[in-house]
Amino acid sequence: MVRSMSDLALLVPELILAGMALALILAARRIQETPVAVIGTVLASMAAALASGWVLSWGAKTGFGGMITVDGYSQFFKVLIAATLALAALLSERSLDGEQVPRAEYHALLLLASTGMMLAVSSRDLVPLWLGLELMTLCSYILVGIRVERPASNEAAIKYFLLGSFASAVLVYGISLTYGVTGTTDFAGIASVLSKHGSGSNLLLLAAIGLVAAGLAFKIAAVPMHAWAPDAYQGASAPVAAFLAAGSKAVGLAALGRVCLAVFGSEARVFSVILAVLAGLSIVVGSILALSQTDMKRLLAYSSIAHAGYALLGLIAGTAEGASATMTYAFFYVFMTLGTFGVVAALGERGEKLDGYRGLAAQRPGIALLMLLFLMSLTGIPPTAGFAAKFVVILSAVRAGHIALAVLAVACSVVSAFFYMRVAVLMYMNAPKEPAPSRFPGPVFAALAVAALVTLIGGISPGSLAPWTAPP
Amino acid sequence: MNEYIGIAVSFVLAGGIAAAMVALGSTLGKKNPTSEKLAPFECGNEPFSLPMGRLAIKFYLTAILFILFDVELVFLYPWAVVYRALGSVGLVEMGVFLGVLMVGFVYAWDNGALKWQ
Repeated sequence: MVRSMSDLALLVPELILAGMALALILAARRIQETPVAVIGTVLASMAAALASGWVLSWGAKTGFGGMITVDGYSQFFKVLIAATLALAALLSERSLDGEQVPRAEYHALLLLASTGMMLAVSSRDLVPLWLGLELMTLCSYILVGIRVERPASNEAAIKYFLLGSFASAVLVYGISLTYGVTGTTDFAGIASVLSKHGSGSNLLLLAAIGLVAAGLAFKIAAVPMHAWAPDAYQGASAPVAAFLAAGSKAVGLAALGRVCLAVFGSEARVFSVILAVLAGLSIVVGSILALSQTDMKRLLAYSSIAHAGYALLGLIAGTAEGASATMTYAFFYVFMTLGTFGVVAALGERGEKLDGYRGLAAQRPGIALLMLLFLMSLTGIPPTAGFAAKFVVILSAVRAGHIALAVLAVACSVVSAFFYMRVAVLMYMNAPKEPAPSRFPGPVFAALAVAALVTLIGGISPGSLAPWTAPP
Repeated sequence: MNEYIGIAVSFVLAGGIAAAMVALGSTLGKKNPTSEKLAPFECGNEPFSLPMGRLAIKFYLTAILFILFDVELVFLYPWAVVYRALGSVGLVEMGVFLGVLMVGFVYAWDNGALKWQ
């Protein structure tokens, strides 16, 4: 129940996105062949980003009986989610043209998924957190399978749905055990109960922590909860894969960060062991399995698994600085991965296979240069944002005393250079086999330009993000 | 634990009677099998068939639309019980909720889900 209008004001960004989604659904049949849907989505995302800043400008506060909070942490991720939504909508222009995908419904689903993401990052209670994540995942299942005439797309959607609903069940089981141990689902309430009684050897609590961590690890595709990512990304169209890789990962990291620091802060030792295992496995398995891929989207899926591991390095420390490092990583990772997937999407069928990149530099030097920039950033080569991001998380792991993990991360970075730079070699040192790709549409180019700009600025002045990375 | 003893007794009794009937029937009864008799009994239905049968997708759409109103009713009942306590805010909230549900219905209607052809 709404106690006052000021409660509703906390949810203005979410309401903007949901309202636009409903409007698009109502008008769906009339705007199918027009650019109304993409314009509406981009405008709604901008309005939501502005609104999240506007709401925070009254000061951090909570509403809905302490379930929803507006603070620097949630605002940071809301702006990131809005940017992901806008770029994914712009990048979809090319791939929607060739497919039998209803535009209005597609953009409405993107908007609703983003609504769920925003709700999840501003939750201060396990129940709305789960609700937001569920809204995001339910829309993602449909988005993955929205190219209904393609068997690969259907297969990907079914696999993602089965594994995803299992992971949701695991998460909700962890939430119910947490409630059983502490008697509340409120973050502050759980933290105060745990700090008063201490956990000691409470097996139920350990199981609850493990299950919650596993459920959230699925959202960021960390090993061993990663198996869905390559299949889902390969079957989905490239912009949807970009939206999943960027948005789902950022939200999963945001939720893990809040749960790790604000809920199980007193259990930091248990949590940091879990996160260290997840991070180490993700980095190693992601980097090694990416070596043998010939499908570009599968390669990027394994790369995103490895990046989930790097991002977790910040959270292992269980400190505010560590959480800030992970926030920085999530921010830059979103833009470089959207850029890479954007080039893949814009190249159409040719971009799906690794061989399609042969000789791209000779045919389209500008596009090849953009791709090279994003690949360098994913590898972590200065002066790109990827280097700055990797630097802060590895530094955070070293400060937390995880020297071995830091060495492993650096070593796997070198391994990852092999498969990222293989694409660069194909682009620059091979003769083209296929006809030159047609000119990119304006919206796609605009999105790529924004992603490239953030990637460059992040590399040149890595500290520019520091004022915004407020830990929970 | 005492209240569970009755349940345990009825479990044992029911299981015992059923087991005794099956045991008596299979030991004392005459056996004169035909293929009809050996088939599993399922009230005249074909007990086992491959999922090859076709069903018009129209039924599925209608069922989905029914769920929309079903969900609406599930929320309207408890709302009606506490209507006075919620006051006008509750009325507005329920109006918004029904509005959002109806957007889905209008979408389905608009796209021809109710045309029976």
